[in-house]
Amino acid sequence: MKTETFQDPSALMKRALFRSLLIGAVAVVLYMFCVEPCQTSLRKARTEHESLKDQQAGMVRDLKGAEMVKSRLDALQAERQAYLNGLLEPLLESYAMRAKSLLDPLAADVGLTIGDYSELPPRRLPLPVPQAPQLYARKPIRLTCTGTYATIVSFLLRVEEKMPLVSLEAFSLKTQKDPDNQSATIVLEWPIKGENTAAVAKGGVKK
Amino acid sequence: MKAPNLHLNLLHASERQSSSPVRLRVMLPILALLGCAGCLVWWGVLAGQLMLVKTQSASLRQDLAAKKAEHGGILRQMAAERETRSELDQLTMYAHGRRTYGGLFKQLANVVPENLQLLSLEIPEPPAQNLLPPGAKPGPKVKPLLGPTGTVEAVSFRILGRTVKETPVEAMMKALEGAAFTNELLIVKGVPPEQASPRIRSFHQDTSPSGEGARLLAFDIEYRCAERRFEK
Repeated sequence: MKTETFQDPSALMKRALFRSLLIGAVAVVLYMFCVEPCQTSLRKARTEHESLKDQQAGMVRDLKGAEMVKSRLDALQAERQAYLNGLLEPLLESYAMRAKSLLDPLAADVGLTIGDYSELPPRRLPLPVPQAPQLYARKPIRLTCTGTYATIVSFLLRVEEKMPLVSLEAFSLKTQKDPDNQSATIVLEWPIKGENTAAVAKGGVKK
Repeated sequence: MKAPNLHLNLLHASERQSSSPVRLRVMLPILALLGCAGCLVWWGVLAGQLMLVKTQSASLRQDLAAKKAEHGGILRQMAAERETRSELDQLTMYAHGRRTYGGLFKQLANVVPENLQLLSLEIPEPPAQNLLPPGAKPGPKVKPLLGPTGTVEAVSFRILGRTVKETPVEAMMKALEGAAFTNELLIVKGVPPEQASPRIRSFHQDTSPSGEGARLLAFDIEYRCAERRFEK
């Protein structure tokens, strides 16, 4: 095609050029305002569709594993319950009172006299990862007792046997002249419920 | 020039210069129309696809909405499982850090020689926990951590007593190295004295008024015990 064709076009050619330009403009408008937006919408719709499909696949997978989750949760809760049964719960808001109610029968069995129970400040346990909302701590209870060395040892052995979560934190025995009246200070430690971070967070929000 | 037939020249002069057998004035509008029709078809195909994808998405959404309640229950169970596992981890840490010494005290009575008098047995209380964030200095604005960063707690066992000579003490220390005590007492030898276990803190002439004259020797021995490890 030579450039001379467009230099001196005939009337027919002029009309043809004008029509072509008009139709071309319509085509461009169609592309810009119909095809392109439609393409964009289709891309978005496909992305959304893929995301929905992923969601559905995840949901189906979760629903299929529901039984397994339930059985795992039951097993974990049973395992935790064994520990919770050994926690020291306050009696009349006093841990020492609860410890007294638990230890006095054991002491009486071996003939030991426990004179005094006192609470020591709780000690925190290392945090698990991920952190649980309900935390646990160690609660030391100091008791002063009098008896023979053998009764003190028997008492310790009974506590260790009957209370599998109780640990001896500290012990002090100063020998007295009378071997039947040895005085010992024993610090026994129980696990207790500590801070509930979820409840603390809720309290913070309310404020 | 004489020609037997009459030829009518219908080509315009400008068109005669074109190499194409089809006239440009015909070709151009047809091409434009084809382009326009192509765009329309393209748009139609895209619109059809869009409708199809939207219909499928709507169906998926309905399906998801129908399963939402059931799935919510499972998500709650999963969250409960994570929390329970985490709680169990902390309780297991406590259980692993539990130490018992009843057996030690029971066995101890059997290995103390007759000519040795024990004055005091002590497992000291552990030092206060450090709940400061790493690198922080104590102050009113420093918020303590919810748990200590260290997981190990050292335990020691001190025996104070008196005797007439050193041999009963040696005999007792030898006996404490026996198998009956290996679970509780650590025996570490051949290291600097401050790291050794047992460590003789003092061994001297007993001058206390209750002592029976100057013949008695007082001793203070410290054993390191198995550490309390609050770990999973």
